[in-house]
Amino acid sequence: MNSLTVQNHQPFAIADIPILSIQEFGESVREALLTHARLIGLFGMEPTGPSTTVLAVLANPSTSSLHILGTRFTSANPHYRSFADVHHQTHYFECELAEQYHIIPDGHPWLRPVRKQTVLLDNQPYTMYKMEGEEVHEVAVGPIHAGVIEPGHFRFQCHGELVYHLEINLGYQHRGIETLMLNASGNQQSILCESIAGDTTIGHTMAYTLAVEALSHSTASLRTQVLRSIAEELERIAMHLAGLGGIANDVGYAIGAASYGRLRTIIINSSALLCGSRFGRGFIVPGGLRFDPTDDALKILGQNVQTVRHDIQIVNTVMFDATSVLGRLDHTGIVTAVWAKSIGMVGPAARASGLDLDTRSQFPYGAYRYTHLPLITLSSEDVFARARIRSLEIDESIRFILDQLENLPSGPVHHEMKPVQNDAGVVSLIEGWRGEIAHCAFTNAEGKWKRYKIKDPSFHNWYGLALALRSEAISDFPLCNKSFDLSYAGHDL
Amino acid sequence: MLQGDPIVHDVHHASLLPLFRGMPELDPEKCPDGCKECQEVCPTGAIQLNPLRINLGLCVFCPICEQQCPEQAIHFTEEYHLTCSSPDQLVVDGTKPRLTPEIASETIRKYFGRSLKLRQISAGGCNGCELELNALSNVNFDMGRFGIEFVASPRHADGIVITGPLPKAMAEAIDLCYEAVPSPKLIFLFGACAISGGIFKDSPELNREFLSKYHIDLFIPGCPPHPLTFITGLLDWLNRK
Repeated sequence: MNSLTVQNHQPFAIADIPILSIQEFGESVREALLTHARLIGLFGMEPTGPSTTVLAVLANPSTSSLHILGTRFTSANPHYRSFADVHHQTHYFECELAEQYHIIPDGHPWLRPVRKQTVLLDNQPYTMYKMEGEEVHEVAVGPIHAGVIEPGHFRFQCHGELVYHLEINLGYQHRGIETLMLNASGNQQSILCESIAGDTTIGHTMAYTLAVEALSHSTASLRTQVLRSIAEELERIAMHLAGLGGIANDVGYAIGAASYGRLRTIIINSSALLCGSRFGRGFIVPGGLRFDPTDDALKILGQNVQTVRHDIQIVNTVMFDATSVLGRLDHTGIVTAVWAKSIGMVGPAARASGLDLDTRSQFPYGAYRYTHLPLITLSSEDVFARARIRSLEIDESIRFILDQLENLPSGPVHHEMKPVQNDAGVVSLIEGWRGEIAHCAFTNAEGKWKRYKIKDPSFHNWYGLALALRSEAISDFPLCNKSFDLSYAGHDL
Repeated sequence: MLQGDPIVHDVHHASLLPLFRGMPELDPEKCPDGCKECQEVCPTGAIQLNPLRINLGLCVFCPICEQQCPEQAIHFTEEYHLTCSSPDQLVVDGTKPRLTPEIASETIRKYFGRSLKLRQISAGGCNGCELELNALSNVNFDMGRFGIEFVASPRHADGIVITGPLPKAMAEAIDLCYEAVPSPKLIFLFGACAISGGIFKDSPELNREFLSKYHIDLFIPGCPPHPLTFITGLLDWLNRK
């Protein structure tokens, strides 16, 4: 396979990326996909014009390596042979490339809009998949949903209560972040990244910060790295608690919902101990941290985490021992390991289907290079597994935080930032609480962003949700949805 | 089951953590002539000078201006009473310790004073504001005790709470949702994005026309606002003790 091979957060010169013919490009990508690499980016480098350079970024977890290769399309011949008919994981990336750059994957099984709802390739109307037949009916939900959640449209094809097909139509949240990043000041970029998905503030800010620091060839102090990871794990615990509370709520188990909610408050208030914001806003920044927590604050943080460690065992036992709860979770919303792998699922949802995927251990960064967290997988592939794995990951995150607090390195939380390397790129992978976050950042000759490509884990996993609903009762949709707990804003950017 | 007593009993006198960034304390006296440091570093253009003022509708309550000001003229206090009823009130000059909305009209208080049901619309909200609005129903804040609740259908609602900067793709849905709420109806804007567009204010992907068509009843600043900012603002507005 002809490609540039780099590691996570390793800067490279853009000129070193091999630009191949469309055919060679296709062959190389296929070869990589056959050797268990995952596609994590397929995007154009320039605004649409007569010629577009397209890069493919692949990650191979077994070798911890990233592979980057490119090709050029002209408006006269914007075609390539689709990968998606064989490698389903590329399906959505190809749709995105078609939507943004009008580059057409020939033989694509299901070209559909990614963020434009009703329009395909600039001007063709798109109609959603529709099933016909006696007693077949269609249910449309959204964009505004019943709860206090983000908007998206769901279209169910049903026969009686049974869902045959769920089509998910997103894009209502599109704010144009990738474009805004190009002309934003450094401070604005940080705030934009904090707002890609407000529930993953730390995750996306980490990806951004480590990308900038890599391009400026600067390394954060040990204290900075450890405190950043503590913030990242606090975010993971908080959102896993929110998810468990949501699942408890969706099966009508009020005491579980209330208890997990109470514990989440303790954790997000611990994030506020670090930086004043319950979501970790304003904490992480290229060049270090904006706050250096006092020993007193860290002591309270440790006590808070201990409280949660104690209480959550009791809540978990009650919740996961209740037959009324298990009756709803077991065998509901199954996504088999084969499906999960084929569509490129990531994060806890993928691990709940038995896939060994965790950026923290496979592409380690920051403090995870020194302290490893165990990669946990479950095999039941259902809502139960997606719920249970979150409680198990909370346990590990708590252990990690308490370990780190015991031996917290001293030293500064600021380090000098040099200007970023010009005409260079970096791939920044982070394990957010939902899974793999990828920021692919490229600079131009002036050291400004030439392209800033963001991939939230939700980009892969929305298809997992659609598959989970196959042959399920439509009344289990809220439960399945909550078990994936995906970001609309992160998908729509 | 181990719940203890997690509720915030007195919502008006809760103590937040020392680093919490609420109402800014400004000291324009300290501003040296021609210094624009804070204005230049502000990511959303929330700061006005001569004299120093901050527009809380734009402010994302990041710590940058406070940390960059060479004269320590800006300090974000723990004061979380920030809800107000007119856009003018959002521009603060440091002379007021807190913001309180004008008390709602007698009609509004008569209709909604003891029972207020709200429909939330996320329009480009990143899920930060949404999580804080959800937190209002948890055991810590328990907004239901004041008769204020979120409902599923706009038909059952007395008003809408908008979060997010209002992307184009949501324009039609917002119109339809608002139309479905029976009159008289209220509009609350929750968070910097909804109030001003926030960090997204210059994005070409927004369509904020809806907001210019109707009277906005309450502005709740923050990024995201603290749940208590919402509760206390509503209680003050409804003149509830």
